[in-house]
Amino acid sequence: MTILDVAEIAIVNEQDIVVARKGIREAAVGVGFGLTDVTRIVTAASELSRNVYIYGGGGLVTWRVLLGDRRGLEIAFSDDGPGIEDLDKAMQPGYTSGRGMGMGMPGAKRLMDEMVVESAVGVGTTVTVRKWLLHRYE
Amino acid sequence: MRLGSILMVTVPSDPDDDTISDLQVRILSSMEGSTALGLILDISTVQTVDSFFARTITETVQMVSLMGGITVLSGMQAAVAVTTTQLGLTLGSIPTALNVDRAMITLQHLLEERRLS
Ligand SMILES: Nc1ncnc2c1ncn2[C@@H]1O[C@H](COP(=O)(O)OP(=O)(O)OP(=O)(O)O)[C@@H](O)[C@H]1O
Ligand SMILES: [Mg+2]
Repeated sequence: MTILDVAEIAIVNEQDIVVARKGIREAAVGVGFGLTDVTRIVTAASELSRNVYIYGGGGLVTWRVLLGDRRGLEIAFSDDGPGIEDLDKAMQPGYTSGRGMGMGMPGAKRLMDEMVVESAVGVGTTVTVRKWLLHRYE
Repeated sequence: MRLGSILMVTVPSDPDDDTISDLQVRILSSMEGSTALGLILDISTVQTVDSFFARTITETVQMVSLMGGITVLSGMQAAVAVTTTQLGLTLGSIPTALNVDRAMITLQHLLEERRLS
């Protein structure tokens, strides 16, 4: 049996956000997450994919199943867009440079166990999130 | 679907952003073209409520309200409610109900209350 534990989806147009959500939902269910955690993971992925689409001008969503002492799911959202000038500001609830509510970044961080943002102005942005199985109560 | 003076709309389970925006336009024109005073938004199959979805729904409810209508949000899944709250989203003060039957009762109450006030 082959287990597909690495996958990627290019975010080119808006419907690709739905495609990424579907793939990540399947992966999260496959890892064994319960419904609430699956919903948390997919919702965070939806926020971060939309940021890739809107601010990054498109990019790549990649995920892999983490195996070892504990199982988990890692998802990376990368683009070679304009980058984020002020990371602290971007992480503040309510801050938006667009027409959003400024909830995507801080919300995704709360929904996941780990979130790392790497960004360079003029180069692009990569946001990596992880969720561990049995790390928290459902 | 139209039930007397109530418009009932079922939101698809995994809509893309355009579909949600289209739904908003369709709801507003249905409200306009009818005698409906109430709207039930059935989100019982919706699996993901993110900031875009929440913003569009909140906006729609406000617009319906400006047009004189009352909205009840029906059937939000428990996992979705937990996630939405943790994400930091509030769906404003939109009245909610467990299912469509209860939403009908809530809506009738709200419409009656308004009629009397
Ligand atoms: N991939 C990215 N590239 C460049 N800038 C970004 C990227 N992701 C986020 N940002 C910046 O960070 C800000 C905050 O993002 P966040 O997702 O929290 O809010 P938003 O997208 O503006 O609104 P919401 O997500 O609530 O619809 C954005 O307005 C944008 O300026
Ligand atoms: Mg966002």
